[in-house]
Formats: sequence, structure tokens, C-alpha cells
Amino acid sequence: MQEDQIPNRVTLQHECEQFLYHAAALLDDRRLNEWHELVTDDISYRVPIRTTRERASDTEFSDTSYHMKEDWDTLKVRTERMASDFAWSEDPPSRTRRQVSNVRITDSSDDEIELTNNLVIVQSRKSETEPDLLSMKRHETLRRDEDGYAPEWINGPGLKLAEREVLLDHTVIPTSSLSIIL
Amino acid sequence: MSHDSERSISSDESDPQQIRRLLDHMAEALEQNEVPLEILNNEAIYQRELSQIFGQTWTYIGHVSEIPEPGDYRQRTIGEDPFIFTRDENGEIRVLFNSCRHRGANVCRAEKGNTTHFRCPYHGWTYQNTGDLVGVPQKGDGFDHLDADDHSLHEAPHVDEYNGLVFACIAPDAQPLEEYLGGATWYLDMYFDLIDMEVIGDPHRWVVDADWKTPTENFYGDNYHVPMGHKSAIDVGIGSETATGEQESELYGIADCDGHAFSVYQIESEEPMFWGHPEEVVETFNHDVLSPEQYEVARKSGVTLGSIFPNLSFIFLGGRDDPNKDPVGTFCLRQWQPRGPGEMEVWNWILAPADASTEYKERVYEVGMSTFSVSGNFEADDIGIWDGIDEAAGSVFAERVEATTQFTMGTGEEAAATVDDDWAGPGTAYANGGLTDENQLDFYRTWHETMVNEGAE
Ligand code: FES
Ligand SMILES: [Fe+2]
Repeated sequence: MQEDQIPNRVTLQHECEQFLYHAAALLDDRRLNEWHELVTDDISYRVPIRTTRERASDTEFSDTSYHMKEDWDTLKVRTERMASDFAWSEDPPSRTRRQVSNVRITDSSDDEIELTNNLVIVQSRKSETEPDLLSMKRHETLRRDEDGYAPEWINGPGLKLAEREVLLDHTVIPTSSLSIIL
Repeated sequence: MSHDSERSISSDESDPQQIRRLLDHMAEALEQNEVPLEILNNEAIYQRELSQIFGQTWTYIGHVSEIPEPGDYRQRTIGEDPFIFTRDENGEIRVLFNSCRHRGANVCRAEKGNTTHFRCPYHGWTYQNTGDLVGVPQKGDGFDHLDADDHSLHEAPHVDEYNGLVFACIAPDAQPLEEYLGGATWYLDMYFDLIDMEVIGDPHRWVVDADWKTPTENFYGDNYHVPMGHKSAIDVGIGSETATGEQESELYGIADCDGHAFSVYQIESEEPMFWGHPEEVVETFNHDVLSPEQYEVARKSGVTLGSIFPNLSFIFLGGRDDPNKDPVGTFCLRQWQPRGPGEMEVWNWILAPADASTEYKERVYEVGMSTFSVSGNFEADDIGIWDGIDEAAGSVFAERVEATTQFTMGTGEEAAATVDDDWAGPGTAYANGGLTDENQLDFYRTWHETMVNEGAE
């Protein structure tokens, strides 16, 4: 990397983190429609099933079976349903707190940024005092978009989510349903 | 999920007294078409279920397509007991107890894989995937007395397959599987013989604070809950056309079917329905394996669901994950695994016609997953509702007032559900089957019979 690119790198890292925090806050605050507006029309969103495998096996993640495998339309269906007064899995709603961390940009062009990050969701329901924990790594692609999210200090287009692959640490999902976006 | 706080209360009765009281209460309650609420969260009842139900009846292990090659294996449970579902090198399917004959360690520690041998990590005893003990370190010096033939891995004494569905029974004596399935085979033939089905990928697994009997009861034929319980999914436009009433149909509840039950939507039409499969997929079916009566029921079938006692259920539906996409015929097979009183683990497999195109199978998967799975737009709401039944069931108050659940729908003078004597298949068919509880009563009658069966002890 050229020395004169370093400030750009720092700015880009900061911008991506702000996007991820913003998107996480929208979900925690149950502003599902606003979250959905931040995904691109061609979004690919996948949560492959994980199995306990021997160390020598190539992967623990299925390439045919998923907990979620979504496009723009099915995410629309889900977010609309989750916001319904008749979605008994989320009414009364669960309380979630998303902790996004370890954000690492793995590739970037003018248009797109690929990154990985870790996410822990603390989810509480009813009067339960021990919350459910969901732990995962995410691979994502963010894309420049006029209608994307941009912090005030950014001139020019903001960011939208174009691709997300969620790699769960769970083989058996510890929550009674996945009625939230990861 | 905080399980421990929700365990049932233990009153001052001993376990056998408690079991007797509850099963006696159940016998009386069933006369009134009711079921004691307490059985949905009671430690003594649960322990008896493990030995009397899961230790006595045939239970589902897996589908042959999950272990297609010699050496393929998957870990499975019977009740809570650990087994290995494997195809040995001779191609024979085996259900081996996952516990070393030396000191009990698990010899198989991955959920799935392919191996010719299971080597125990503790002292290194090695078993062929037939279960035979073939290696004991320092055998000559320490185990020269040991007869390897007597120390094969234990295996389920009865393993059999029906149209690709593999079941096992761990009781010493078992009736033949086909006899156990009884009239249910007539229905299973429509889904697994007419169609060569294959499992796609790995099952969804998740834990739920509900007793395994709650979803089983539901899948025996609780069609009454759909408009209310699934309103959120129907409102966003992803309900199946038969369930929403867009497509006119008749719902038959099939009870008295040797302990198993089905709910079959029939659409009167010249068009082939086949659960929403399109023509090019229907063409791949084995059209000559069914009787003309079975074939006609299959042809007219919309949503179909059912359960095989004790804890295997399925739903077969022409579903959608998006109101703007074409429905496809998706098949979700589910097992409600007991994991404690008032607690279960759900296993959900999605199956597609094996000879359909890759693209179509992908759509079958997507629609199945987004309808019935841990993230399913329908399933999530069922589970959201069930959460809490266990707390009420385990309460002091439920015991005090002898609280019951109600299965009296359709027993009044004006009841809409009526027996259709012309139904071609086994069992008693109720037209307007959404308005009777006969299917669910069958589950609880079978449960009760199995629980009190002293001969089986
Ligand atoms: S426990 Fe398996 S070899 Fe000792
Ligand atoms: Fe339901």
C-alpha cells in the first residue's frame, strides 16, 4: 500500500463500521423496513447449516441446506411478517442487542467493499433472566449506492448490503425460532 | 433458553404413584375427549416415555438418501440415546449404538462423514462399520482372553426400511415395521413410492421449550389453528392456496389409522394437483405403483400433513416464499425429539423429487426452509405460541384443578365434520376434517395405550 492511501484506508474502515453499526441498530430498534431499504435489489443473504465434522473435512458448512437463503423479495416478506401484529414469534417482540466486532476489510474497489466481522446477538424474551446467545462470523459485500447509508461526513454515495453469508457457531440453534435478521 | 426453572414440580408422590395417578386421570379424561395438561411437563411421565414409548415402538432414524454410499454415516438418536446411522461396506444399513464396548466412549464423534472404521479415541478399540470389533491395541498381551465376536458395537435389534424411510426399534421383540405402520402405508406410498424422494443437505436442528407431544398433537391434524396461528404469514401472501381458501377444496381428517393420522386436502378438478408439483415434475413420478384409488387421491391432493407414532411428522404443500413466485411442491419431514419434560429438539429435513431438475429442487428447498424450519414463516409462529404451555403444565395449579386440554371439537349435534364412508383408503375419513379432533385424540389414545402397556416392560 502506498503511504498516501493510508488515510483513505482508515476512512473506509470507519465508514464500513458505521454502516454495520447503523444496520445493527435498525434491527435492534425493530425498524425492519428501514433496514430492508439498505439491501441491494440483487442481495444474496445466506445462513448455511453447520454440522460437527472431523477436523480433516473440507468444510463444516452445507452448500445445499440453509437456515436462511434469501433474496430481496423474500427478505421483504420476512421483514413485513415480523412486523405484523400477528407474528406470534415476535409479538411480544424479543429484545435483541447486536455486538458487531472484528471488522476486517478483505478487498475493496471504488464500487464494492468485501469484509468480515463477528456478531454476537443477545436475545431476551418474556421474563427470562438468561438470554439466548447467537454467535457468528459474517462475510459481506457492501456496495456504493446513491440511496445507501452515509454518515454526514461522507460526500457522495453511501453503502448498501449486497451480499451476506452468516457462518454460525451453532449446529443446533439455541433459540426457539430464528424470527430475526442476523 | 433457561430450561431448569421450568422443570415440573415434584409433589410428595413417588414416581410410580404419580405415573399411576396421571395415567388413570388420562383414562377418565379421554372418555370425555380431554387430556390432562400435566403430561406435557412431568418428569416421571417423561422418564416413562423414554422407556415405554421410545424404548418400545419403531422410531424414525433417517432417509436412505442421507447415506447413499458405503461408509456414509450420520449420528442419530432414539429418544435421547446415541446411535450411528450408517451404510456398511456391503451396502447394508445399520443402526449402531454409539458407545465403545470397552468403557463406553463415543466411537463416532462427527455428525456425519464417511468411514470404513470407527476407532475409539480412548484406548483405540477399532470397529468396522458393520459394528465388528477388529482391533484391540496390545490384544495379545492384555486381551488374549477377549472374544472379539462378542464385543461388536451393540446395534438396534430391529432396523427396517419402508420406501426409503428407515426406522429402528430397540425393544427385544417388535412387530414387523409394515405391520406397525399399518394403514399408514397406503398414504406413505403416495409420497414415497409414487415419488422417488431425496433429502436435500442436512437437517435443521433447534431446541424449543415445548414438550415433544405438543407439535406431534398439532401435526396429527390441528387444522383449526391455521387462520389464527398463521395469520402473519397468510397476510403477507404466502399461504398455500388450499389453506387460505383461494382454491376450493375438501379437507379429510384420517383417524383410526393404526395409531397414525393424516390430513388430506382434496381439490375437485380435472387438473392434476399432486401437491403443487408442475407437469414436468409429475412426469418423473412412478405412475404405475399405486392402486387407482390411491392415484386418484394423489392426483387431487393439495396440502397434506400427517404423523407416524410416536414423533415423526410431515407436511407436503404447494407453497411459496414470495407471493410473486410460482408455488412448488415442498415436503418437510420433521421429528420432535424428546429432550426433557417440556423440552424438545426439532429435526427438519426437506425432501424433493429425486428426478426433478436441480433448479426445481433448489426451489423446493427454499420454499420448505422459508415455510417450515427454525426460520420458517409458518413454523416460527407455531413455536412462539407453544412456548409457555410447559410452564402451565408443570404448575401446582394444573395439578390442583386437574387441568385438561380439550379435544371435543365436532362432537356436538350440529357438528360439520362427518364420516365419509366412501373414502377409499384405510382409517376413518372425516369430511370437514378441520372441525374434528379425532386425529389428535388418536395420538393421545395411542400414547396412553403404549404408556400403560405392562406387557412391554
Ligand atoms: S473406551 Fe473405547 S477403547 Fe477404551
Ligand atoms: Fe402450525
